[in-house]
Amino acid sequence: MQEGKNILLFGYGSFGRQIYKHLALRGHKVRVISSTDRAISLEDGDDVEITNINLKKNDDILSLNIDAKNTIFYCAMDRTANNLFLVLTLKSLFVNANIIAISNSNETTRKLKYAGASSVIDLYEATSRRIVHNLTKPAVSRALDEIVYKQNDLKMLELEIPANTFLEGKYVSEINFREMGIILIAIIDKELGYELIFTDHRINHKLDGGDILVIVAKEENIAKFQEKLQNEKGMKNE
Amino acid sequence: MANVNAMLLSFAYFIESSQKYKKIKTFFYNLLENDEYPYKKYFDFFMIFVILSSVTLLVMDVKQHIPKWVDDIDLYFVTTVFVVEYILRMWVYSDVHKIIIEFNEESEYFDTELRLRKLFATIVKDKWRYISSFAAIIDLLAILPSYRGLRILRVLVLFRAFKMLRYTKSLTGFLYVLKNKKFELMTLLTLSAFFIFIAGIMLYVFEGDNKNPNIHNIFDAFYWALITISTVGYGDIAPVTPEGRIMTMLIIITGIGLISFVTSIIVSSFNERLGALREDRVVQDVAKKKRLTVVCGYGLLGRLVVEGLKKEGVEFVIIDNSEEMAELAYKKGYHAICADATQGDVFKKLGINERISHVLCLTSDDIQNAFIAVNVKSLNENIYVTARCSDSEIAQKMECANVNQIVMPQEIAGMMGAVYAGEPVAFDVLLTIIEEKEKTHINEITITEGSFLDKKSIKEINFERLRLILLGVFKKSESATLGEFVFNPSDDFVFEAGDNLVCIGYSTAIANLKGKM
Repeated sequence: MQEGKNILLFGYGSFGRQIYKHLALRGHKVRVISSTDRAISLEDGDDVEITNINLKKNDDILSLNIDAKNTIFYCAMDRTANNLFLVLTLKSLFVNANIIAISNSNETTRKLKYAGASSVIDLYEATSRRIVHNLTKPAVSRALDEIVYKQNDLKMLELEIPANTFLEGKYVSEINFREMGIILIAIIDKELGYELIFTDHRINHKLDGGDILVIVAKEENIAKFQEKLQNEKGMKNE
Repeated sequence: MANVNAMLLSFAYFIESSQKYKKIKTFFYNLLENDEYPYKKYFDFFMIFVILSSVTLLVMDVKQHIPKWVDDIDLYFVTTVFVVEYILRMWVYSDVHKIIIEFNEESEYFDTELRLRKLFATIVKDKWRYISSFAAIIDLLAILPSYRGLRILRVLVLFRAFKMLRYTKSLTGFLYVLKNKKFELMTLLTLSAFFIFIAGIMLYVFEGDNKNPNIHNIFDAFYWALITISTVGYGDIAPVTPEGRIMTMLIIITGIGLISFVTSIIVSSFNERLGALREDRVVQDVAKKKRLTVVCGYGLLGRLVVEGLKKEGVEFVIIDNSEEMAELAYKKGYHAICADATQGDVFKKLGINERISHVLCLTSDDIQNAFIAVNVKSLNENIYVTARCSDSEIAQKMECANVNQIVMPQEIAGMMGAVYAGEPVAFDVLLTIIEEKEKTHINEITITEGSFLDKKSIKEINFERLRLILLGVFKKSESATLGEFVFNPSDDFVFEAGDNLVCIGYSTAIANLKGKM
């Protein structure tokens, strides 16, 4: 599967702790940064190293030697004001930084997005959606749990098609993904710009290298599929 | 004597054991007295109609001649309806046979003769309590105008209008206000009576001795004082002496003060009652619903959940213990009650055993949520309770209390954040589908017995032709929870009634399939 990513997590309060837990579970490399002016109470069983710096000073952040291109920044401080300030700071230091921030309301989401967060997780909205779905569509929410959140062999992932594979130039309808144990949900075509094409649209899409497939499948089938992509690529090259 | 005793007893026991009798009596009780009974409303409308038509006849009779047959209908039909109602109300007020049985048991216990005289006295006393109640007296007075011998009795038809109070709840609310502020209102009444008394006498002393041609006696003076102090001021009697005028000025000022006092007392009392009146309204509104979700806590999360529920067409009631929050929800047009959800009363009122199916505990306080959850579970174990929680230790305790689902916002944010790190694009796709931002939605379909999917294989159905992506199937299970999840079932998979399909597709394609079910 995909290798772990470099992640810089700011804040280790109630949100930070949970994010750390889940990121670590998935094998990402997480570095936790916390503000010096806030004491952190480590719980039993917390096995984490925390760097304390003064987040208000640019020099302190720069001294972390961040490779901004290959890092995802998580702003998960408990106070929204701090998060907002942090996003601004990071954006001013690293222009193209990939920042994910936690928000607790529509209002904050708007501000964080404006400040430059590439993605915002709206805490209460996500929770409320989950509660409502559980009530109205129990099967859907359980299916999503199985596929997305639970640690089992069922995975949802994105897959970039390398150049010159057996998929090159083929139409989606010509390939039986289901037989391979894969459900294809969406395609992102670079030629069309980054637009999601849901496969139920019935537009018969032509696949090229560089397209991103969003698939749901069991781990073993994903491995087989990737192997196939690699192998046949080699064959074509010869 | 012994014969009468035996007859009475066997009659009482016969009634006690008769299911039919009980059913009929409960029916009439509900119809007449139980505000939550859905059909009471129709009965009330009918009675209001009868009363209004009878009052209309009285008014028309003053100048026009009313045909005899209309008058007869008024006389016989309306009177019969009222008499029957009166008797029924008296009947359902209490159980006579229970009194008889109680007496019999007592006499058997002490081994004495059943004392008929005392028994009858008790029964009569019991029913008298009803007859002497305010509402019953009005009812009785409303029947009387049917007696045509006395002209003055005709006016009593107006008591029929009074009777309407019985059928409209908001008016009884007004009576309640008057009762509630009895002390204040009585004080003001006494005060104004005192002013009228003084002013009346003084005017009579000043002007009664033929100075003012309009004042003939002390009654005229009192009449003038009342008209003046109430700021009505007809002007048919007006003071002519300077002393009289000075006094008039004084009582006019007093009068303005008194009236504003009375108004403010009634208004403030109404405000106090507003919450309770609103609560009654909500309870009545939801009484017709079959499934009801109760949302406890109207904070940040509560608001979003409520919006979601509304979009999905789920019937819900909001409970919040803060007046301000309940008011906010009410202003948005939701059913909202200001009440303490950790107590049983409000849930019982909403029908915990009849219609509440889900309870969501969404306050920002974990302990409060646990408290509400336990409260609900102790009232009815079958209700699906969802609780919000921010601490895993408290979550454990909630699990002990059999809370069906525990939602931890922090954990959800954590999971989402983690998924995003690995699969940002995939996650975006998923969110787009879940949040229904575009036309592609995810939904579930339960296979019903004998529908066109029942006992068919996936190959036969051909989901591609239906323009749907079949994600997986939950097999039907015996219990209420979902069965095993079969991801991407193969072509020879055969559906059964009770299976739940999870599909992704255009909203119209999903609606199409649902419609075929």
